[in-house]
Amino acid sequence: MFLVWLRVAVILYGLASVATLVAVFGNRPQWQRLSISLAVAAWLFHGVSCTEMLADAHRWMPAGMHEVQSMLALLIATAFLLIAWRYKTLSFGIFALPLALLLTVVPSLGLDKYAFKSPLIRSGWLFVHITGLLAAYAALIFSLTASLLYLIQERRLKNKRAPGFLNWLPPLETMDQIAQTTLVLGFCGLTIGLFAGSLIAQEIYGATYFADPKIWLSFLMWGLYVVLLFVRRSRGLRGLRAVYVSSLVFLAMLSVWAANVFSSVHRFGGP
Amino acid sequence: MRILLTGLNHKTAPVELRERLAIAPQDLAAETQALLSHPGVREGLILSTCNRVEVLVCHDGDDPEVTKYLNEHFSVDAKTLEPHLYEYRDSEAVRHLFRVASSLDSMVVGEPQILGQVKESYSAARSVGAVGPALERLLQSAFTAAKKVRSETQIGASSVSIASVAVDLARKIFGSLEGKRVLLVGAGKMSELAARHLMHQGAGSLLIANRTQEHAVRLAQKFNGHVVRFDDLHARADEADILITSTGSPEFLVRTPHAQQYLHRRRNRPMFLIDIAVPRDIDPEINRLEGIFLYDIDDLQSVAATNLADRSSEAKLAEAILEQEVARYQQRVDALNVVPALVDLQAAAEEMRQAELRRNHGRLKSLSPSQLEMIESITRSLMNKFLHQPLQTLKAAAREGDATAVETIRSAFQRHGAREDAPGVAAEKSNSGESESLISKH
Repeated sequence: MFLVWLRVAVILYGLASVATLVAVFGNRPQWQRLSISLAVAAWLFHGVSCTEMLADAHRWMPAGMHEVQSMLALLIATAFLLIAWRYKTLSFGIFALPLALLLTVVPSLGLDKYAFKSPLIRSGWLFVHITGLLAAYAALIFSLTASLLYLIQERRLKNKRAPGFLNWLPPLETMDQIAQTTLVLGFCGLTIGLFAGSLIAQEIYGATYFADPKIWLSFLMWGLYVVLLFVRRSRGLRGLRAVYVSSLVFLAMLSVWAANVFSSVHRFGGP
Repeated sequence: MRILLTGLNHKTAPVELRERLAIAPQDLAAETQALLSHPGVREGLILSTCNRVEVLVCHDGDDPEVTKYLNEHFSVDAKTLEPHLYEYRDSEAVRHLFRVASSLDSMVVGEPQILGQVKESYSAARSVGAVGPALERLLQSAFTAAKKVRSETQIGASSVSIASVAVDLARKIFGSLEGKRVLLVGAGKMSELAARHLMHQGAGSLLIANRTQEHAVRLAQKFNGHVVRFDDLHARADEADILITSTGSPEFLVRTPHAQQYLHRRRNRPMFLIDIAVPRDIDPEINRLEGIFLYDIDDLQSVAATNLADRSSEAKLAEAILEQEVARYQQRVDALNVVPALVDLQAAAEEMRQAELRRNHGRLKSLSPSQLEMIESITRSLMNKFLHQPLQTLKAAAREGDATAVETIRSAFQRHGAREDAPGVAAEKSNSGESESLISKH
């Protein structure tokens, strides 16, 4: 049944994406209300689908690429709705909702053939590990998007053009706040996720597990994250330089994600 | 009920004439009362703004002499006034009112104040009983049309004055202006206007630096701000989020090293610099610094001009919406025109009465002419009594503008195959002719 809810959510994400594009670029208040309503409906169906999926499997963590993708999409949609509520801006929806749609399309087509079979699957620590890291990914995507939009808005204001096509961009200060807040939240998620993962690995596999390139990349990403946070906070880093640093961390994050495919140690099929 | 709109505006009359006719808000109700007592005026409203004076009246029969009313009340002779006046009647008056309320007829197309001014005129007219059902219907439709134009087009979305462009840009940088600090360098009129606008939009506090300390103190008292010594300008400029300069200095007051210092002390928090001085007070090179947004008077004017051009293109879309709204209003008014329905209803009843009399003609043969006349009188009286309540309800519904009730009553009493095109014919035919012939046969 969870697949049915997920398919409904996919359709609603699609409709919400279209409504958001019209609302943001056309600046139409009715479409803004429609867009939020559709996004909330999609999020609810998606939430029901994820809960039912995990309840059916008698576990609390996603196993397999489809489930992870679906959870990441749910976290991205959650972050978008929180930002829309807190900062009164729909602009992030033009990236977040299509991304949530893309991430849920494949999982909605059918059951995952490739699943994580480890007995650890029901471990609470593993749930903390995966959820923390997925939240960090979602937060970093928003932080990078906010930094990029900041840069575009900054260039537009410096070039002294009338609003025109880019009128939908949120104010600089709002984007800076979103970039900073999501960065801090992402750092918390990453730290908790890595800490939980390290505890599990140390307990079950010992030191050999730390030969995995993904683990090294993960710690590198954490280190970069610390540097980024420190520099942003102490120097008030904004604009182009903030985008560079955020992009660097984002690249590290993508490498960690790609390591799932290339690493022979750290696979969803288990070590 | 007919509608007549007479007036003049910024396109037809010079300001000298407009100001002679202008009515202060506190006098609007009394003037509307005077208009209402003018012969022929059933309902009326006066719209008086700095750009227009318009008199809208609903009347029966001949046009009330509104021009005469204007001549008498404002002591302007007809020869001076009439060349500048325009007159619109019925559907043209409706269209004009809708355009005015939607700000399509304004000097600055899309400005938001006019709708409020129309509403004030409406309130004043209502307070003296000058708004009846016809004007109520018309004005409510005008408000709906104006709201629709605002929500479905971008006509009022962008700013077209220098001060409001500056506020919009500040919002694009800081989001809300709540708590933002403004530093005014130079106490000129232009900078005062920009500061007033920013403070009005929620800016937190105002600092003023001026070479002549007394001017700074005067301005600080006016805005409840604080004076900064002119010599301390660079030491304290970083406290401000928005810096407005308008001094008469022949050289740049703020250069790149100054701005770098500000940014350093602000930990790179953005600063919005508005230079409205000519010659300029701020070196344009500092706009290259990350975190500094510098706009001079030409930049602000250029943004305002682009926005104005955008409004013109949105105005075309707004005109199309107004055409639909005028048509909708007209349909509603037509639906409330119950005279044909009243005539048709009476004709239908009369036809039935006549048919019954004809059907019983054989049985009534034995009656004397006086008895027949009595039957004629009784049946007619009965018919009128039956019709009285529906006709009164129909008239009341039309008076109250209840189009649904009118339509319901109309359809409930509609005859199959009724001649909708010529309802009066049936009445004419049946009112006397056939019944008279029935009596005369005897």
